[in-house]
Amino acid sequence: MALHLNLLHEEISEHRQRQRDPLKIGMIALGIFGALMFGYYMWNAYQTLGIKGRLTTAQHDWEKIEPAVVAAQKRADELNGIIGTTKVLDGMIDTRFYWAPFLETLARCVAPNAQLTSLDGLVLDDNKGISVTVEGVAAGREPRAAAEELRQLLLEQIGQDHKDVKVEFKTLEDLDTIANLGGANMAMARYVLNVAFNPFPAAKPDASAAPRTAKEKPE
Amino acid sequence: MKLTKDQLQKVILSGIGFVVLVYVYFTFFLGPLNKSRDSMLATINDLQTKIGASKNEMHNAITLEGQAAAATNRFAGLKALSPEGAPIAWFPPRIKAFFAKQNIEKSSTRLDNSSAFKQSELSAWMKNTWQIDLPQADFETLGKAVAQLENTEPLLSITRVNIKLAAEDPQFQQAALSASTIMVKR
Repeated sequence: MALHLNLLHEEISEHRQRQRDPLKIGMIALGIFGALMFGYYMWNAYQTLGIKGRLTTAQHDWEKIEPAVVAAQKRADELNGIIGTTKVLDGMIDTRFYWAPFLETLARCVAPNAQLTSLDGLVLDDNKGISVTVEGVAAGREPRAAAEELRQLLLEQIGQDHKDVKVEFKTLEDLDTIANLGGANMAMARYVLNVAFNPFPAAKPDASAAPRTAKEKPE
Repeated sequence: MKLTKDQLQKVILSGIGFVVLVYVYFTFFLGPLNKSRDSMLATINDLQTKIGASKNEMHNAITLEGQAAAATNRFAGLKALSPEGAPIAWFPPRIKAFFAKQNIEKSSTRLDNSSAFKQSELSAWMKNTWQIDLPQADFETLGKAVAQLENTEPLLSITRVNIKLAAEDPQFQQAALSASTIMVKR
């Protein structure tokens, strides 16, 4: 076996040591890792740029339709307000009490021998009903019967159109005065009638329903 | 393999460098980038939701416009019943002219009170109560006039009727009406 002398072993050892230098290996590793991270960062940045493009498009779309949307919202609010107000007003219109038909009914009930001298009618608060005080004089052989006839007739006639009808005498008294009816002298009585009834519906009427109208009194 | 002191120092130095690199990378580069991306994605989602909802809203507004046509016309009609100006300036003359047209020449109207409505829908409207005196009217003419008034003034509601014989002229009656009106606030 030939003798092999390595006269450069110190240099070779130094070279090997330089190659195994942890700082150098660390730097190389750091460089590779840094490059990987940079690549990953660039990939993310590229994706972010794409997202930014999408954002710009979305913002542009929104800017285009925003004025129309704001106007539509404003108009919708306004329309809802109009619908609400109209509904409430229609409700009030529909639940009004019409006095003309009542006056017509009253006029129909009064016989020639039962004259009215005053009428005071009132719509009770919160539409709880109608209260009417009717004052008058009746003449006849039996003036109290004539007044009672008027009361009965009012009860019947008002009851045809309204509910909870009450027609009661507050006062019924004979008078000393004599009235001449058709050439005959008749005794007289003075009466005060309290009339109460409820023309208002229990449930709120449908706003879409056609509003009621008062009937005109026939000639 | 046993590391020399010098090599150990270098390993530690490399480790520190690595930690610093990772920290700087995540804190100053990838972190803000991801944060910005997440924020942009959230904004895009938000905008897309808004755009979707706004399309519905616009569609609803168009539908509502069609549905509200009747209400809008009715509202305009009711609003037109209140002319410009203070009600005290135009309502009494209007009532006087109305009754004159109904052959009731003498009439006077005065404002009793004004109040606002409790309902939020009627915040732009006022309730006025008027006292209408008709010192000379016969019952039939009065009945017809009341019917006409109730039919032509939908926002007027008669709350009290008082009719009595006119002492000096028995063929006529004296009438007093309390009427509440709904008018646009001016």
